[in-house]
Amino acid sequence: MKTTATRLLASGLGATLLVLLHACAVTGVEGSVGYDGGYYEPYGYDYGGWDLGYRVGPSRCCEHRGDRGGDREERGGDRGGDRGGDRGRGGRAPAYRPAPAGRSAPSIPGRSRTH
Amino acid sequence: MDRNGRTRHAPPRACIAVLLFGICTAFARSADFALPPLNSPPTTETHPGKMLWADLVTPDLAAAEKFYGGLFGWTFRSVREGRSGYALALLDGRPVAGLLQKAIASGEHRQSAWLTFLAASDIDSVKRLAVSHGAKVLADTKLYPMRGRQCVLSDPEGAVFALLASSSGDPPDYLPVAGEWIWSSLHAKDAGSEAGFYQHLFGYDVFDLPSDDGVEHLILSTDNYARASANDMARGSARRHSHWLNFVRVENAAASTAKVLALGGRVLVEPRMDRHGGMVAVMADPAGAPFGLMEWSDSDTKEEPK
Repeated sequence: MKTTATRLLASGLGATLLVLLHACAVTGVEGSVGYDGGYYEPYGYDYGGWDLGYRVGPSRCCEHRGDRGGDREERGGDRGGDRGGDRGRGGRAPAYRPAPAGRSAPSIPGRSRTH
Repeated sequence: MDRNGRTRHAPPRACIAVLLFGICTAFARSADFALPPLNSPPTTETHPGKMLWADLVTPDLAAAEKFYGGLFGWTFRSVREGRSGYALALLDGRPVAGLLQKAIASGEHRQSAWLTFLAASDIDSVKRLAVSHGAKVLADTKLYPMRGRQCVLSDPEGAVFALLASSSGDPPDYLPVAGEWIWSSLHAKDAGSEAGFYQHLFGYDVFDLPSDDGVEHLILSTDNYARASANDMARGSARRHSHWLNFVRVENAAASTAKVLALGGRVLVEPRMDRHGGMVAVMADPAGAPFGLMEWSDSDTKEEPK
């Protein structure tokens, strides 16, 4: 009886270990099932309507900010740097702290890969 | 031996053999989904907030490979991922992106998209900070041994992004070659608030360079390099949910646009001049995933003093 019970216990443990190992191997060590590197977005949206003046890219080296940058800093100082609160969005995300006025906007790295 | 002369320990040994076989099978299966490191050899660099990877989720992996291979010269290496397919996109042997095949459940109105990965060596504290400032965790932190630890979040406006703590360090700051990611832009309802959110996570310096049409255009930088931009959505844009958009460097945006059309993609924004003096454009692949094209001429690039 004792031997049978031991065998059953060993088999049960073995099966449990197999299931756990399989789960770890397929799903990664932490978290949920499957690879979490992809995420579908809501459907039905599209682009279009970018005005000719709409800009998204980086500047070339050392572009100076326009007048609005200075205004922003002054306004930030007046408002404690929290524009989010001014817009009635307090508690969601604070607005940004502008970079110091003397600094110009950097560009992307310019060094080429050597290999 | 028992009283009948049989070996008493044979069944437990059989169990052990089965167990060992199972362990080997499980690890072999694990090795099938071994994402390679971002850097070979590894680096000791950390660049918080740098875009260092992108994964496409698509219902048709074969079609995506054909499209991006034809457009950018990427080659692909299949990596098994359970029942789904995952392919590493390579450029000159270097991993540049991942393509994940994932079925869309019937009745779900979902669109294929590129997921932007931002560097966060201290991923746990960055994730906590994000959540405390209004982000949601869409997929919790998971370890992929050679790749690193990653999680997927949505920011306070709902733009989806991922954090990655690379096991092999962050990639050094080089000018990307044609076919590599060169830029990322966040399009938001309130670029200022969103810039504040990401500044909390990564310590970005934020520079306000308003667009010529007056909408907010903020440059997010670390290490004295521009990493991304945060932009108020274009006034006429029909795409009204906040999102990240990644740009691949191309030699000629017009020629690449023609290739996109020939390969079954769509043009979302025609090539147009941008701030840096080169052309940018926005395309959709055959499954509808948006991505950008950006020209960048070496001759105009000036190295920043570090």
